[in-house]
Amino acid sequence: MHHSVELTDVHVRLGPVDVLSGINIEARPCEFISVVGANGAGKTTLLKVVNGILKPSQGRISVLGHDLSLYKRLNLLRRDIGVVSQRSNSIRFPIRVEEAVLMGRYGKIGLMRRPRKEDWDKAFEIMEAVGIRQFCKKLVHELSGGEQQKVALARALAQEPLILLLDEPTTYLDSSAQSEIMETIHTLHHQRELTTLLVSHDSHLVEQYSDKIYLLKEGKSCLVK
Amino acid sequence: MSWTEILSFPFMQHALIAILFAGIAFPMIGVFVLSLNLIPLRFAMMHVALLGGAIGLFLKVDPLLLGLLFCILSSMALGPVSEKMKLGVGILSGYFMTLTLALAFILIYKADIHVLEAFNILWGNILSLTVLDLIIVGLISLMILVMVFLFFKEIQAVLYDREIAMAVGLPEKIFYYLIIFMLGLTIAVSMRMIGALLIDAFVLLPAMAATLISRSLKQTFFFSSLFGLLSGMAGLYLSFVFDIPTSSTIILVASLIIAGCFLFRRRLSGYEKVR
Repeated sequence: MHHSVELTDVHVRLGPVDVLSGINIEARPCEFISVVGANGAGKTTLLKVVNGILKPSQGRISVLGHDLSLYKRLNLLRRDIGVVSQRSNSIRFPIRVEEAVLMGRYGKIGLMRRPRKEDWDKAFEIMEAVGIRQFCKKLVHELSGGEQQKVALARALAQEPLILLLDEPTTYLDSSAQSEIMETIHTLHHQRELTTLLVSHDSHLVEQYSDKIYLLKEGKSCLVK
Repeated sequence: MSWTEILSFPFMQHALIAILFAGIAFPMIGVFVLSLNLIPLRFAMMHVALLGGAIGLFLKVDPLLLGLLFCILSSMALGPVSEKMKLGVGILSGYFMTLTLALAFILIYKADIHVLEAFNILWGNILSLTVLDLIIVGLISLMILVMVFLFFKEIQAVLYDREIAMAVGLPEKIFYYLIIFMLGLTIAVSMRMIGALLIDAFVLLPAMAATLISRSLKQTFFFSSLFGLLSGMAGLYLSFVFDIPTSSTIILVASLIIAGCFLFRRRLSGYEKVR
């Protein structure tokens, strides 16, 4: 069986700066992998490389068996990768929770097609699983930070992804909200048999949930658990 | 004075038809501008049109036509070029704006073009529209409406967050470029209708009012069209009755609508707090 995500000697250069210089990470199917490192260590860059948003200057990236440097249909591949970014406060227009979650289905629905009943059913099932069903008619910007993060998680899961990428999903949350969202992520990771790649600056928080932990330091990765 | 009397003048009939089209469709472009923060692009297009006009005068070709052509070409190029250079559209718009302005002035000076003639391209007049103008406004309005209707969910995702649109597997870049292209086209046509300096009357102000009171993107589109139509019709009517410039009157009405929406929102949020 191939690895879900495999990075081999990956280097990334952004302008004059070598952000990543020799990253080796393997994530087998259904593994929960955490990558920890200080702010500015290149954690977000790492996720962007896995998602094909950034191209490495050197090295090989394989996602679900596809070599990203050779694979031309990244849009199709991305439909199998759910992404939860760091929480952004720049919500540009009012949007209801149910609409924001349904957005996760847009790639799978196809161009010019309207969401079908099964897409709405899937969105509601995920909202139930994540614990935000009761807020579905509320506007996203009216929710607390933790609830907004759950909306982002629900949107990513509504894609029915095989891989889940999480970029500091607990930033800006208080400690009880941090534990709550980590528990939710961990439960859904097992229930939906996801391969999860989470980056965080907080190694204590992720330790109990992770099958493997990589430390990112000075652009290099090393396996610490 | 009644609408029947006003519409006995052919130029007023043309103006009304243009307002019916543009009032509904152009504010939707304003929603794109506000959501994606493309305001600098609007300024850049004005100066690109000025350069086109100056070249037109130099080559003895219709300056307006060349101005429009330059706007269309640059709006097609701007998205991909900004992506290639890894610069935001806003930054690149600043570059385009100053560069085209400098080139236009050099040309105006060297070719001995009358400055006011070149700047004429920036002042439109809604009361002097030809049948061809109406066809162009109608076609572009139709394109905008069809685009929003067919690709609503794709546009919603791109306006919400470009990275999310990409992450869920949509061809986000194509839609972003399409939005920029439609914006360039709309600005080019608005320049002919009401003048570059008053484009906001149709494009931005109704969208600003709509964002103040809407609770979804669909509502934002609906209210922006409604306000665009209202301010256009009321502005046309009042300008005729009081014999004042039409474009300025449309802007005044649109500004009053914004003030009204602001007060409505304050009252609504006050009510919600009490509740």
